[in-house]
Amino acid sequence: MISLRNVSLIYPNGVHALDNVNLEIAKGEFVFLVGHSGTGKSSLLRLLYREARPTAGEIILDGIRVDRLRRQRVPALRRHLGVVFQDYKLLVDKTVWENVAFAMQVTGAHTRDVMRQVPRVLDLVGLSHKSRMYPGELSGGEQQRSAIARALVNNPKILLCDEPTGNLDPSNTSEIMELLLRINLKGTTVVVATHNQAVVDRMRRRVVRLENGRIVTDEERGYYYLGLGQGQILSG
Amino acid sequence: MDWGRVKFFLGEVLRNFTRNASMQATAIGTVAITIVLLGLFLFVRAALAGMGAHLLDQIEISAYLKADAAPAQVLAIRHFLTADPRIASVTFVPKKQGLAELRDRTKGVIDTALLTENPLPDKFRVKVHIPEEVPAVAAGIRRLDGIENVVYGQTIVARLLQLGVVLRRVGIGVIVVFLAVAGIIISNTIRLTVFARRREISIMQLVGATNLYIRIPFICEGLLDGLIGALLAVGILAIARATLWPRLLEALPWVQLNTSAISPAMLVAELFAVGGAVGIVASWISVGRHLRT
Ligand SMILES: Nc1ncnc2c1ncn2[C@@H]1O[C@H](COP(=O)(O)OP(=O)(O)OP(=O)(O)O)[C@@H](O)[C@H]1O
Ligand SMILES: [Mg+2]
Repeated sequence: MISLRNVSLIYPNGVHALDNVNLEIAKGEFVFLVGHSGTGKSSLLRLLYREARPTAGEIILDGIRVDRLRRQRVPALRRHLGVVFQDYKLLVDKTVWENVAFAMQVTGAHTRDVMRQVPRVLDLVGLSHKSRMYPGELSGGEQQRSAIARALVNNPKILLCDEPTGNLDPSNTSEIMELLLRINLKGTTVVVATHNQAVVDRMRRRVVRLENGRIVTDEERGYYYLGLGQGQILSG
Repeated sequence: MDWGRVKFFLGEVLRNFTRNASMQATAIGTVAITIVLLGLFLFVRAALAGMGAHLLDQIEISAYLKADAAPAQVLAIRHFLTADPRIASVTFVPKKQGLAELRDRTKGVIDTALLTENPLPDKFRVKVHIPEEVPAVAAGIRRLDGIENVVYGQTIVARLLQLGVVLRRVGIGVIVVFLAVAGIIISNTIRLTVFARRREISIMQLVGATNLYIRIPFICEGLLDGLIGALLAVGILAIARATLWPRLLEALPWVQLNTSAISPAMLVAELFAVGGAVGIVASWISVGRHLRT
């Protein structure tokens, strides 16, 4: 579903954000991307939704050569992806319903489809009862759930999350993670870049660890720290 | 027809438009002023062109005969003149009549009674169909045997013909400058709305909106600026036409302003078209600049 082959990314200012990265993610996988601040997690995600292009290497998403994609084809790619950020990126002057519908309307979707899809995803994230509220009237967790609903409304095959729980307290964090898991169980491939050790250690999913722009470990049921759960660190 | 889509779309345009009312007002005002100037300019140009045409229409060639020209020569000249397809009319003016006309024209300035004998020669008065052909026709007549001199207000004709060319050139220049000014101001307004909506635009791009779809509301905004500005301008021009124009005619009775060539409907349509086009082009450029980066 996602594959990176010998991918390097050097920003115009000379920063080597990614250095010869090779990564294969199969359809329906749930993958954590961990590593210290500035190791290139966000950069890797940006390459996937074509916010950046690699300096070298190939990126293939669902059969599409993303690194070679012509600019006019980028919107079509993005409709196959959902992207979620730490700061939610909701429009403050639109209600939850409007925010979610917006993602369909700006792609020229038929109202008929909007009316069918929006209630469906709002129900999935558990926000049907708050659909008339504005982001300012919601908790951080609810705002993030709105953002996830928006990311899902176009039925993407892949959901990319960059620090989705970075601004949330532990209970909201758990809720969001459960939601992502549920979405994953419905068949969506989910990639989550995170600093949250507790979440990674509890969920025991595939963990890809970056260091200085390189993948240093890739474990099937990994922990935040190499081979060690949180408890082990504390006790050791 | 998907009314939900139309409603969403119009809502977006309206939201843009009302978000920064003072900027919109500035843009509309500037467009209106520009178009008023443009309208005045087109009007004055048409009026002056009409006046010039009127003056040129009155231009006639006086072909003075040599005092010793034989009657056969005079007849030959007349035949030559009447045969020329560029010439509209030929009139023979004997010197007596010429003096009478001169007396009339210079009454109170020159006392022709002081003249002891008639200094004027006989002449042909020649009218030409197309004013631009006056110089060539006059040159042709001058070469004929028995012609002493040819006079047609050379400087006036040359000046008027030159004026026509200059007016056309200046006109195009002024219009281009006006349009550029209006375009820059609309484009700045749109750039500000684009800037105010950059979050929205980045989210639109993130969820896969095409550039065209992102552009359309801004293009509509520019179009609205242009059309509302044009509407205001047409209103102002109409009021000026109704109130100031009659007074101007009264104050300057000697000015031969011929405005019959101007069709008000055409002028209004042109001004609206110009306003709308400037709005569309300006917004297209300023949104495009944002989307490229
Ligand atoms: N747009 C950019 N232009 C230049 N350099 C950048 C840009 N974005 C990121 N970088 C640099 O690239 C490196 C990787 O950044 P990136 O944001 O991918 O890290 P990260 O792993 O997401 O960090 P964090 O965990 O803090 O979010 C950093 O050194 C950063 O300074
Ligand atoms: Mg990051």
